Amino acid sequence: MTIIDNLKQDINKGNVEGAVAQTQKAIDDGLKVKSILNDGLIAAMDEVGEKFAKGALFVPQMLRSAKAMQECMKLLKPFFLEGDLVPKGKVLIGTVHRDLHDIGKNLVAMMLEGAGFAITDLGVDVSADQFVKKAQEIEPDIVAMSALLSTTMPSMKETIEALQRAKIRNTVRVMIGGAPVTSKFAEDIKADVYAPDAGSAVIEAKKLVGTS
Amino acid sequence: MEIPTFQPRLKVLNREQAMAIHTAALEILEKTGFKMEHAGAMEMLSDAGCRVASDGRIRMPAFMAEDAIRSAPRQITLFDQTGEKAMSLRDEQAFYGTGSDATFTLDLKTGQRRRTVLADVTNFAKLVDGLKNIDFAMSMANPEDVPVESIYVHVFAEMVKQTGKPIVFIADSGKDIAKIYEIACAVAGGEDNFQRKPFILNYSEAISPLRFPENVMEKLIFCAQKQIPICFPSGSNAGGGAPVTLAGALALGIAENLVGLVVHQMAGKGSPFLFGPNVSAMDMKSSIVCYGSPEWSLTQAALADMRDEIYGLPIWAFAGASDAKTMDAQAGAEAMFSIITALLSRANLIHDVGFLEYGYTSSLEMVTMADELIAMSRFFTGGIPVNDNTLAIDAIERVACGGPGSIFLMDDHTFENFMHSLFLPNLLDRSRYDAWINDGANDLYQRCNAKTQRILSEHTVASKSEDLLSRINGIVTSG
Repeated sequence: MTIIDNLKQDINKGNVEGAVAQTQKAIDDGLKVKSILNDGLIAAMDEVGEKFAKGALFVPQMLRSAKAMQECMKLLKPFFLEGDLVPKGKVLIGTVHRDLHDIGKNLVAMMLEGAGFAITDLGVDVSADQFVKKAQEIEPDIVAMSALLSTTMPSMKETIEALQRAKIRNTVRVMIGGAPVTSKFAEDIKADVYAPDAGSAVIEAKKLVGTS
Repeated sequence: MEIPTFQPRLKVLNREQAMAIHTAALEILEKTGFKMEHAGAMEMLSDAGCRVASDGRIRMPAFMAEDAIRSAPRQITLFDQTGEKAMSLRDEQAFYGTGSDATFTLDLKTGQRRRTVLADVTNFAKLVDGLKNIDFAMSMANPEDVPVESIYVHVFAEMVKQTGKPIVFIADSGKDIAKIYEIACAVAGGEDNFQRKPFILNYSEAISPLRFPENVMEKLIFCAQKQIPICFPSGSNAGGGAPVTLAGALALGIAENLVGLVVHQMAGKGSPFLFGPNVSAMDMKSSIVCYGSPEWSLTQAALADMRDEIYGLPIWAFAGASDAKTMDAQAGAEAMFSIITALLSRANLIHDVGFLEYGYTSSLEMVTMADELIAMSRFFTGGIPVNDNTLAIDAIERVACGGPGSIFLMDDHTFENFMHSLFLPNLLDRSRYDAWINDGANDLYQRCNAKTQRILSEHTVASKSEDLLSRINGIVTSG
């Protein structure tokens, strides 16, 4: 087995220490960092993503693999020039105004990060203004909103209207999700995409930025 | 000969385990602390002995929780809407009812899953009213055809119109709960009558882990002051809001419940509080919170043991629900598993009967099926009465020593006893094959559908006066 094979295996198994050691070994052996990244880390995470989608992996296993990849990236980063590492896209994410539930939102954020997106997480109880201000600052590709309560769903509509007023609605794609949210509701409030769970949030996000 | 009948009972924790989980809950409150986002509650807690750290977390000494456990009533009685005693929540008494806030329902006519509307609240409440073993109503719908800012007032008013049974209700904050209370007082004939004979119980949730939002605490304090019975389970589900191990998830959920209880008893000492968290499990593939899980049944059995060993307060529970998407064999299996174990655990108030799809979809047929499964479970948990009549030595002698053709089916003892000695199913099919074919070869889902349609068209709900209905409508539509 090559170092890359071993690295992929460790990422697949979520063996953080092993993956980090293999990455260090690959660097020491003079492998190209781009190859370590593309053929090792990203290829392994693609496999993990596929297995998870098929139901062959559990969420904690998938998240551990993502963590292993992130630890390996820390070793690779110094070798890349600024601008060499381009994320799949920038996502601004948060739980909407008056809603404090964040388990689903956090899971979506972690899975998007694992899939190569750059995440800015505004946390919970995020007002329409906060979404707009941050969106103006970081110019994300996607604004992602979560709500667990039917009574806080209207905040999603308010945020979309605020993006419109700020004249940046057309520069971002809006993705929404959460227990009471439906695809019809997404249509009604003119969101771009409804994602019923974290796995489909990743698939939809990739489609939105045109990398799937 | 009179021998007391042993009541079959499930026990899943010994005293040592129960005490260890309780102690862990107290340690969480003392050491980890919690986030209280209601200024009034925060002040009460700090005045009463909690420490507020610089990070804003509140740490609670154990004695505060122990005091609150002692001051809360050990029995909660819910009445029906005519003021008759309906549910005595104490000791080993168990009562079943529906759930709330389903986004979808299975349409009774088409069988298709569709978004819920107010007419679904109407049907579920009426069905509950017409089923013998369903004791209380919850909305079973999050209707899309009423204004979302007053959604809970609308569904409450609709339930009041369609059933005379007790109601477990949801509210958003201190604002809509006040309106719901106004409706309840109108139904009971004034605030004094309501407080003597409450027919409603509020369901409010903290957020696991250890977070207490302002609007949730508003409702808790309102209920404490008005003596509206309340339950306060957080979603401390294993692997979701709580650690994946059931003992830790229980300890966290109980800790959160105790914070609610402490604030509640400070805001209204002696007001009724139904104890208990929701501790199900998060599915490790789909990340849904399971409603057909043995974990939830196991943790509420544990909670029942802790009630008996430590708390002495009536407890909240779930049963009769499923993660299946249609009312199929999985739905039947999961519903029965939780119904019989909840009863064997002697949980007190058992909700969520009739949920499919991890609580996202409600089903009228599921409620109708559960009604029969509850009857079956009640028969089982009733045990075996042993006395001269049930031992039936005389009947045995009559038949054994009788002439040719002597059979038990002909004996008076059978005629006099079969109705209460045996479980006589109504929906579960025991017909002979040919009879079943001739009758249309219907499966349980079809039979439940037919029975549900019959109840909805034939059952009459005790009507409320025009004057009361117009007052209720006035409250619903007031600003």
